[in-house]
Amino acid sequence: MADRTEQAFSWSEGWHPVSSRLITARRITLALVYLLVVAGVIVLFVLPGIPQWIPVAALAAAVVVFIWLWWLIGRRVRSFGYAERGDDLLVTSGILFRRLVIVPYGRMQLVDVKAGPIDRWLGVTTVQLHTAAATTDASIPGLEPDVAADLRDRLARRGEERSAGL
Amino acid sequence: MTTPDPSNIGDDLGLGLRLPGRGTEDERGRRRLHPISPLVHGASALPIGIILLLAFGGGGLIRFGAVSIAVAILGGLVVAILVAAWQYLVWRNTWYWFDDDGDFRVDSGVLTKRQRRLQLSRLQTVDVTQPLAARIFSMAEVSIEVAGTHDSRVRLRFLTLAEGRALRNEVLARAAGLRHDTVEAPEAPIVKVPAKELAVSLFLRTTTAVLLLLTVLIVLTSFLSGGWGAVGLALVTGGLPIVLVVAEFMKYFDFTVSESPDGLRLHFGLAKRETRTVPPGRVQAIEIVEPLLWRRYRWVRVKVNIAGVGGGDSGGNKEETLLLPVAERSVALEVIGRVLPGLDLDRLDWQPAPARVWRRSPIQGGRLAVAWDDRVFAARRGRVTRRLTVIPHVRAQSVRLTQGPWERALQLASVHVDSTPGPVHIVGLHLDAGQARQVADDEVLRAAEGRRGDHGTRWAADS
Repeated sequence: MADRTEQAFSWSEGWHPVSSRLITARRITLALVYLLVVAGVIVLFVLPGIPQWIPVAALAAAVVVFIWLWWLIGRRVRSFGYAERGDDLLVTSGILFRRLVIVPYGRMQLVDVKAGPIDRWLGVTTVQLHTAAATTDASIPGLEPDVAADLRDRLARRGEERSAGL
Repeated sequence: MTTPDPSNIGDDLGLGLRLPGRGTEDERGRRRLHPISPLVHGASALPIGIILLLAFGGGGLIRFGAVSIAVAILGGLVVAILVAAWQYLVWRNTWYWFDDDGDFRVDSGVLTKRQRRLQLSRLQTVDVTQPLAARIFSMAEVSIEVAGTHDSRVRLRFLTLAEGRALRNEVLARAAGLRHDTVEAPEAPIVKVPAKELAVSLFLRTTTAVLLLLTVLIVLTSFLSGGWGAVGLALVTGGLPIVLVVAEFMKYFDFTVSESPDGLRLHFGLAKRETRTVPPGRVQAIEIVEPLLWRRYRWVRVKVNIAGVGGGDSGGNKEETLLLPVAERSVALEVIGRVLPGLDLDRLDWQPAPARVWRRSPIQGGRLAVAWDDRVFAARRGRVTRRLTVIPHVRAQSVRLTQGPWERALQLASVHVDSTPGPVHIVGLHLDAGQARQVADDEVLRAAEGRRGDHGTRWAADS
């Protein structure tokens, strides 16, 4: 029965995944955050008056969570996908909380293209669509910069052609 | 700064005071706010000044008794005079006018000059309000809002009530593409909410009623057991809803809905009388709310999303936009029919969520359903407080399908039809996953179909 959900959240043809370099980018971010965690654990080891098992347990928990997040990032990134249909754009994402957003080109008010420092270094870019609704929330992370620029231009052009008032 | 034409200088207060700039236009047709505006600002600062002084110097003031009260009032006066002096400079530097392109222009700023141009074709609302201090001077504030993400509202403080109304009519007429010298649109009242009905309905809202009941229980058990430890709690559970009820009662007192050629006009408020115009075709979505205890009176509340309003203005304060705080269902439907013509809720063919939904939502599960006709999409939810939401296909911004882990286990998914920011969220909860996708895809098609038939924003010029 699980395939009924799969069907509900996908589109048969023209479905694009995002770059697997996004996995690397997000794992690097995770590792950087973990530097702080490691620093915290070291402080626990050094501080006097704390039973040895506390930092050991903290370290073990941190390692388990790290491995889990590492694995989760891979799955989450692979869950992203988008498809350009005749009149609208489809974006899907999420594992635990699945999401499919359908945005008509005529409703787009703004297309953002953005990339943080790590993203730029690895060559991944996020394209984000805005409509007059704050709840729309359609962003496609992990596009290669030229793919992102092309997509933005295509979306902007189609938006212009089909633009409608509120 | 141009000197106003002396022949237009008026004596508005009848005190023999000659106030420059009153009702004048300079050679470019620019207009000024009312010259007593600085005084109104000063008057509204008077109580604030006194309170601040009491707060800061309270200890010392109390010791000196009556003298201290005089000092506080004097201090308040000084603050008020300072505010008034500053506002005089603001007034001298504020101009508004309609330019040749038909845009509304406002120049302002004492130290930093600011020029704003509002495109009236993107007008959302024009409100005339009377804050307490302005009311004393029979002045009014006009706020004009256009579609835009931030800072899309200008507030003109202050004009006389008559000037304010005239300006509102001029703005609305120009935005609707009518000749701007059209006389004030006549208003025909449709609905008036009686004060008693409003008060009773506010007490019978589910949260209020539950909290009050809880308070009674706490007081009773305290009384019977002789222990008064929980009285503090009772103060919270009893006080909070009463404060809320009083606040809403003041806000929506004498709520009147009238029909005018500009659209529906809403008047409400006790201390601060507000006026809101809802042009037809600007209503993005509606919600009919029916709390449990209202049902025996067949009362409903109607909320609306209006583009540019209710999603938080430039000040960032959220406002619940109501079309009716409480009214009988048939009356409410008639008012709704005026903002969404041709809506027939009784003829909708409801598609319920599948039977297994009770394992996800045992209480409201049986009521969850979506429906659509050739104009609107509707979704209902809630068992204790029934909620029915409606959005015209034309107004759908995007369509989303979501599924949480629990829904996933049951092969369910929810369909959201996104509207502009506001109190109304349209969501068909917990439908069968396959059905949900079908509904979402179909809704996108119907929305596209609707947009092709939609017309421009200058609605009055079309008809």
